[in-house]
Amino acid sequence: MSDRNARQEFLGNDSDEILASCRVGIIGLGGGGSHIAQQLAHLGGGTFVLVDPDKVEDHNLNRLVGATAEDAERGTAKVAVLRRLIKGINPGAKVNCIRNRWQEEPLGLRDCDVLFGCVDSYGARNELERIARRFLIPYIDIGMDVTPGENGYVISGQVILSMPGELCLWCVGFLTEGLLAEEAARYGAAGGRPQVVWPNGVLASTAVGNFVQLITPWHDPQRSTTYLEYDGNAHTLLPSNRLRYVEGKRCKHFSSSTDLGDPFWGQ
Amino acid sequence: MKVEFKIPTGLVHEIRTDLARPHAYAAERVGFIHCRVAAIRDGIIVIGEGYRPVEDEDYLDDATVGAMIGAGAIRKALQFAYQNRVSMFHIHMHEHSGRPWFSRVDLRENAKFVPDFWNVRPEFPHGALVLSLDSFNGLCWVPDQQKPFRISKFSIVGAPLRIIRL
Repeated sequence: MSDRNARQEFLGNDSDEILASCRVGIIGLGGGGSHIAQQLAHLGGGTFVLVDPDKVEDHNLNRLVGATAEDAERGTAKVAVLRRLIKGINPGAKVNCIRNRWQEEPLGLRDCDVLFGCVDSYGARNELERIARRFLIPYIDIGMDVTPGENGYVISGQVILSMPGELCLWCVGFLTEGLLAEEAARYGAAGGRPQVVWPNGVLASTAVGNFVQLITPWHDPQRSTTYLEYDGNAHTLLPSNRLRYVEGKRCKHFSSSTDLGDPFWGQ
Repeated sequence: MKVEFKIPTGLVHEIRTDLARPHAYAAERVGFIHCRVAAIRDGIIVIGEGYRPVEDEDYLDDATVGAMIGAGAIRKALQFAYQNRVSMFHIHMHEHSGRPWFSRVDLRENAKFVPDFWNVRPEFPHGALVLSLDSFNGLCWVPDQQKPFRISKFSIVGAPLRIIRL
């Protein structure tokens, strides 16, 4: 255990080595993904694959950890901002930047040990989980939303760990055909969704906690699926009732062996 | 070329349970993992999909080695690879902790029979794995490559997620 990480010794004598050997993909470097990248750098994460096609703009500065007014003025790529942040905290980290949509660079994420999905749409989450299942990668999804309510606005969100072979986003009811269809119908008309820094931070921190518990667990029992619902008005993050109804059941959505690996291998 | 191997925790448990079963005359058991494959930027990932134990009657009574399997076992594995379009990895277990490696006999026999899988599935890599009580090691024969590659990383995917870099 290095001096640097002495305060996290409870994660195990070999936790430095485990974290340093881990290759983590973060898809979406907005309010959530930037928090995750920063925290993983502090923890001693070894290899990062950062994916985001966008540059920093003024309207990102309310939540994008590591971004400066100068970045917005210059239009610095988000992946470059996070690379700078990670290397500043942990100079030994390897940072692979994909300034593109992840779908355009299909080989980039396959050898990641864990994927963090910090994307805006249900469709993107669906695609990411499919990739994660196909290449046997645990997938941690975070997201937040703000909607008008009776007495003002309602802040909500979720952190879900989707483990290959276990319950998926469909099983726990987070993804449905109806939601995808509704989203597809709204395509192009969604506009910018409300995002603020503190729920991003709560959700990202919880996702990082899920990750650390997964690779260098500090307590029992281990859970292979988690679904936590955030109530940003009550300031609580609680296990979803939806998960309780399906716990112990098998995933029916990714049970075929042909769902694994490269479907076109050798053709 | 980098070769990484991923396998679900549940499948590892199934394999360990099978390999630990005593046999009437063989000192150890062996089996085959059928796998899917994917390209990565600097190599390949092999993904363990399922396990096929060698049946009791397919072991030969040979006291000079831990386990000797007959032509029937190989034939069944070849047939499975052909019919299901999969990569095949032979697996056996050494009863010790720490990083395992193949015996001289293992290496000799692997080099003989693993490339036979290219007769039925030439497009796939095939290989051999050795398991210890807490670790893995392995070799992978990749199409169009002369020598087998050592597998550089094993990921046992579940909760906890275990990564073994070699």
